[in-house]
Formats: sequence, structure tokens, C-alpha cells
Amino acid sequence: MLNLISKFNNSAEARESKDEVLIGEVVFAMAHLGCPSIGFHAGMDLQYVKFKPVGNNVLHTVTVLLDRKTGDSVLQQAVVGSKATLTIVGEVKNHFSDPDDLVNMFRTDLANVFRNPWLGKVKLDHQLNSVTATKKQIIDIDDLTTPPEGRTRLNELLRGVLSELHENLATYKK
Amino acid sequence: MSEELDEVYGQLVTSSWKRFEENLHNGQVDDLFVGAVITSMVATGNTLIDLTSDGSAHHLRFQHAQGGERLLFQLRHLTPDPVRSKALGHVASVHIGYGEKVSDARTVWQTLKSEVKSGYLDVGEPGVMTVDAELETGYVYVQVELLLDLDPYLPGEYKVDYDLLQQHLSGVRQALAKYLHGRLAAA
Repeated sequence: MLNLISKFNNSAEARESKDEVLIGEVVFAMAHLGCPSIGFHAGMDLQYVKFKPVGNNVLHTVTVLLDRKTGDSVLQQAVVGSKATLTIVGEVKNHFSDPDDLVNMFRTDLANVFRNPWLGKVKLDHQLNSVTATKKQIIDIDDLTTPPEGRTRLNELLRGVLSELHENLATYKK
Repeated sequence: MSEELDEVYGQLVTSSWKRFEENLHNGQVDDLFVGAVITSMVATGNTLIDLTSDGSAHHLRFQHAQGGERLLFQLRHLTPDPVRSKALGHVASVHIGYGEKVSDARTVWQTLKSEVKSGYLDVGEPGVMTVDAELETGYVYVQVELLLDLDPYLPGEYKVDYDLLQQHLSGVRQALAKYLHGRLAAA
């Protein structure tokens, strides 16, 4: 036999698959926002998908992380609901080929990021030639996956955060 | 310090980025295709209920919102390095399974699984359909392995031909469903 079934965790109950349902809806919504997926990581409690915002002159990648805060049991579901932390990270990448530009970036932009990493609820950070903006929010998975309104709410949420990250990172794109 | 040397360095970095991005995109083709499969399946009324990915092999499971039928999808990119993909194109080994819930899965499964008696038989050949069951949930599946050229589905950098992908997924689904129904009727 091909043993295809054995590759799955058998989280067959719908309540155990809420994270995956949301990830599926996020991939669908992001594709419609012009951001195809370019990387998947799916572990037991943390899942993230990396997307490429095609044609976006600021954002190099966008990563959506889903960190489930509640357990999968019926009891935990009843008490806490299906809350999770949805983290969306926008990344700007600068392809510097002049050492003077690199020095200037450290003196100005990155010094500013160090001094004041928060822009409202968005946190800025930098690593080598990337500047990232991170927006973290607690969500109710059911709110974003229950048809038909869930899909509309998820679309609005993603569209809004992408626009916010784009706006906050535009100044760092050289 | 001369401007000429700065320019030399600049050219080296620029050409390095070109190579780097080529290699990067090469390694992302499977993720791009997996995302396209998820998008196509969700667009046709399916819900993603399982996702496991270790970077090289991707496992997806979908359930249709109305009928409850399930589709399993496993992909392994066979040409992730640029040399092989330039020579062969992007090729992937894809296992697709189609399952339905049956009332007495254990009995049905016992009847159907008698089809493979020899361990020497190679059931991993393209188009060979085999039956499997998930007794905990009562689903009986038919599965098939295919070797897919990914390039026609991804006609440009980060572009996806969703019409073609949906047509091919529907074709495989229909074939597997037809075989499953035939075997269940005969069991």
C-alpha cells in the first residue's frame, strides 16, 4: 500500500482541525490578494505560511503565523473557545551593493528603529539587510472561518494589516 | 579608494543576487504549487483539515463541506536543485487519495484489502489504484501515485494556471471516486 493515510495525524474531528481550516482560508484569501504562498511550516502547535506579495514595491515577503492558545478537547473548547494568536510579519529587503549605503542605513533608519521600535501596535525590527514590521492580534478562529461572513472578515483583516505594514515599512525601502 | 572598484563590487553583489534569487525560487516551487492546490480546493467548497509539512514533503487533507468526502494530497518535489530542474523541469511525485465514509468500514476494508497479497508487487507505479481505510473515522480511500510536471501549472514566476489545476484535480477525483464506488458495490 502507499501508506498515504499514515502520514496524517488523524486529527479527524472538526474541532481539532480549526487551525488548519484557518490556514486554508488564509492561503485562499492571500492568493486573491495577489500573494501566493512560498513557504510552509506546519508543526503541532505553531503553523506559519510565507507569502510573496507579487508586484509590491515595498514588501518582499509576508509571513502569517498561527499560534493556538487553547487545547483541542471539548472541555477546553467550551471554556476558552477557539482563541489563537495571529501574527503577521511584513519584510522589506534592501539589496545594497554600495558599502556607503549600508553605513548610511545603520546611522539613520536602523538607529531610529532601535530608538523607537513601536509604531502604534506594529513593532519594527531589523536583521542584516531586512526590516520587519510585526502585528500580533488575538483572534477567534470561529469568527474567521464560519461561512459566509467568516471569509469576508478574514479578507478585511488581512487586507487591513497588509496595508498597515506596507505603510509602516515604505520609508525603509531603498 | 576608487569608484571603479566600488562599481566592481556592486556588479559582483548584483550578479550574486540574481543567482541567489534563481536558487531561492527553485526551492519555492513546491510551496507555490501546494498553496495553489489549497486555493483551488477551498475555492471548490473543500476545507483544509490537515496540513503537515517538513519542507520537502507536504501532506494535505481536505473535506468537502457538504458531502463530507475527503481528498488526501501528498507532494514531494523531485527536482529542487537548479541543475536537475533545468534539465528535467519541475517534477513532483504526487499521491492523491479520495475517501468516503462507509457504515461498516472494518468489514469493507477486510474485503477490499485482499487485493495485494505479495510484498514483491510494486504498487507505486503511476495510475495503479489501491484501497486503504482509516478505521477510527470510518473512511475508505482509493489512492493513486502520479508524476506531475509542475511547469504547466506555474506558467510564470509566481503565476498559477488555476483553470488547468482545477481541471486536473477534478479529473483525478472523478477517476478515484468511480473506482471506489465500483469496488464498494462489488464488496
